[in-house]
Amino acid sequence: MVRSLFLFDMTFWLYLAALGLYVGYVFARRPSPLQLAPAGHPTSTGFNDGAWATQIGQVATIVTIFGLIMNTVALATRAYERLEHLGTFAPWSNQFEAMAFVSWAIIFGYLLFEARYKIKSVGAFVVGIGFIAMGAASLLPYRYQTAEPLVPALNSYWIYIHVSVTLLSYSAFAMAGGLGIMYLVKERAERLGKPSRLYDALPDLETIDELGYKAIMVGFPLLAFGIILGAMWANYAWGGYWSWDPKETWSLIVWLIYGAYIHARMTRGWEGRRAAIYAVFGLLMVVFCFWGVNFLLSGLHAYA
Amino acid sequence: MNGNRPTLVERDTVPAATPGLGWDQVKSELLEFFASLKLAMFLFIVLAITATIGTVIQQNERADVYIQEYGEQVYHWFTLLGFTDVYHTWWFTSLLALLCINSLTCFYKRFPAIWRSMQQDKVNVSLPFVKNLKYTTEVAVPGQKDRVAEGLVRMFAEKGYRVLAQNGAQEATVYATKGIMGRVGAHVAHLSATVIVLGGLVGSVWGFQQFGVCLEGETYHIPEGKFDLRVDKFWIDYHENGAVKSYNSTLTVLEGEAPKLTKTITVNDPLVYKDIWFYQSSYGNAWDRVEVVRLNIKDKKTDEVLHTVDLDWQKEMALNDLGLKLAVTDFVADFGFNSQDKKVYSKSVDHENPAIKLAIWERDSVAATPWIFYHYPGLFDIKDSQYRFELAGYRPKQFTGLQISKDPGVNIVWVGSTLIVVGITLSSFIYHRRLWAKIVPDADGARSVVHIGGNTHKSQIDFQKEFRRITERLNTLKT
Ligand code: HEM
Repeated sequence: MVRSLFLFDMTFWLYLAALGLYVGYVFARRPSPLQLAPAGHPTSTGFNDGAWATQIGQVATIVTIFGLIMNTVALATRAYERLEHLGTFAPWSNQFEAMAFVSWAIIFGYLLFEARYKIKSVGAFVVGIGFIAMGAASLLPYRYQTAEPLVPALNSYWIYIHVSVTLLSYSAFAMAGGLGIMYLVKERAERLGKPSRLYDALPDLETIDELGYKAIMVGFPLLAFGIILGAMWANYAWGGYWSWDPKETWSLIVWLIYGAYIHARMTRGWEGRRAAIYAVFGLLMVVFCFWGVNFLLSGLHAYA
Repeated sequence: MNGNRPTLVERDTVPAATPGLGWDQVKSELLEFFASLKLAMFLFIVLAITATIGTVIQQNERADVYIQEYGEQVYHWFTLLGFTDVYHTWWFTSLLALLCINSLTCFYKRFPAIWRSMQQDKVNVSLPFVKNLKYTTEVAVPGQKDRVAEGLVRMFAEKGYRVLAQNGAQEATVYATKGIMGRVGAHVAHLSATVIVLGGLVGSVWGFQQFGVCLEGETYHIPEGKFDLRVDKFWIDYHENGAVKSYNSTLTVLEGEAPKLTKTITVNDPLVYKDIWFYQSSYGNAWDRVEVVRLNIKDKKTDEVLHTVDLDWQKEMALNDLGLKLAVTDFVADFGFNSQDKKVYSKSVDHENPAIKLAIWERDSVAATPWIFYHYPGLFDIKDSQYRFELAGYRPKQFTGLQISKDPGVNIVWVGSTLIVVGITLSSFIYHRRLWAKIVPDADGARSVVHIGGNTHKSQIDFQKEFRRITERLNTLKT
């Protein structure tokens, strides 16, 4: 137990370092005098990163990779500890582990994204969200952090797939929320009309908007799949696939909220600022579904 | 405005509404309304908001629970609006039905255009059309018009596009498209939402759900399946640290007298027989019987405990040295008395005020059946008896709570669910894109100018990249 907690701690510090580096990277960037790239061009930045920024950016990526490795090892260690003492291994069997897994998925998703789109300034926001997830986990009281045996209702192979898929969808929505905040920061700078360094270092609005949308389009099918796996589990464990229990109802609410979002995007005016605010709102709803429901609303499961 | 752009070409296939107030007009307006995205967004949001009500207000509680928490007045409104059972109100069901109608109408209105464009697409577009597309550029390449067109077709085919070409005297046109499955996926999702709701409907009409409180050793008739169920055993397993590991009931299905199937069910492992599912759902202490009762027998005068005995449920016990014969004949967990029909009953299932009914025969001179209360020892005195009886404790009889259900709609729900996940996934990861290229030869015919343009309904960044790669390839086109 202590071993995995130590590793989770290390992950926390690595993510903090990574976040600091990404923020430093954003501030170190210099706008290039040559504005060659057409608007909305994703990879050509119109930027001359300069030696400093390039190096900070590289270190940031490396530290993030180390953080992800540490996070992976921590989760694997926790899985091993569970297996050794309790006979099941899913390293997402309580709130703490679930948060650590969400943080893993956000950082993993971010690294995939960076490899593909090479827009590092996004890290200052999305790695930030991953760090907050890890930080919130480590703020939980110790008794929430240890591995207790699963209550009988949860002791099933369904937990491996249902919970992990749902948490992956939360992670995608968290990335979208981070991008939404990034959009609003940039948009504000643009609205104020002051060409600040921060403003110039971020990719153009259209790109951020589009990336946020993509993240939601990853989260949406994952959440649908996760809810349906939950329904299958409920059907197997409790005698009904849908019983309107607060947790399942809230995940449906979150799904409906994002359903409204993807359809709204097809109508005029639901891009950009509004979409960004909506994505941040959606993330708050996800956080409520993930945390609030567990701590504030009463579950109706017979054994909970 | 991502969504409308690709409909540039499709738009003209939607019939224009005819003026006038005829049936056609009404029909097209109804269609417009029920297929509208505004209605869809409205329904998504309203469903999300109303669904929260039931997570904040406890559902299906007894009236006094609400009155105590919210007051008489508010409770009145609750019942009026159905807030005590939100998900089964007429208005919530109507919202769900509207969502189904909405998505079906959307399918009806929009899918034909997609279907048509899978069969045949508009190849021959005008040059201004190409130049007006969102992504457009022109590249001069060496080579004759025909050869360049051939090269383009080859390149698109290599990239997995479906290609159509037309060779005219003045110019050649190449059309390439990919990812129509993304849009088909969206419409699969639209249809399957209704499939899921239908499955739910079938279940609620032809299925049932019951809760059974069952005691060890008893046999229960299951009329829906025309068979009997015997509960052989109920027990709880614990982890080393004392936490519960599993709840278990061994059940036997009987047809007539013949045992057909025996299985030990646990929380995540139900028994299924003739499409009826038996789930381990809860357990608890029975409120109308106990296993063993511990009784202190005291001397009335000295108040000294003469004897402590454990009495089995409804079994007579003789204590010859005291000249007593005792039996526990009844038990209630929460004593209540109905003064109308003069009956004792248990007010709740909780062991709030437990009492036993004791049958006493003392030296052939006394015969009494007093109620003895756990919390109020010595409440009643038994006349003529030398003794006072105190209920020192009891071991409750545990029941196993079985959820019994049958749902003929469940497989429909799973089909719908699978389709909705497949549909949404397709639409998320595949995006529909179309490109048109017009190849116009130079005056001498040795070189050609390729005007190329394209659009997509989403994934603008990816398409941008793709478009750039394609135009770069054009420069090095082998002809
Ligand atoms: C009932 C649940 C519904 C689900 C799960 C659902 C799901 C989806 C998904 C995943 C997409 C693809 C989004 C994209 O490509 O960005 C989509 C597209 C669309 N949806 Fe829905 N939808 C639902 C209801 C509705 C309703 C009620 C309408 C009514 C207007 C509607 C209208 C549309 C339209 C017009 C599109 C664009 C289709 C295209 O690209 O050709 N949807 N839907």
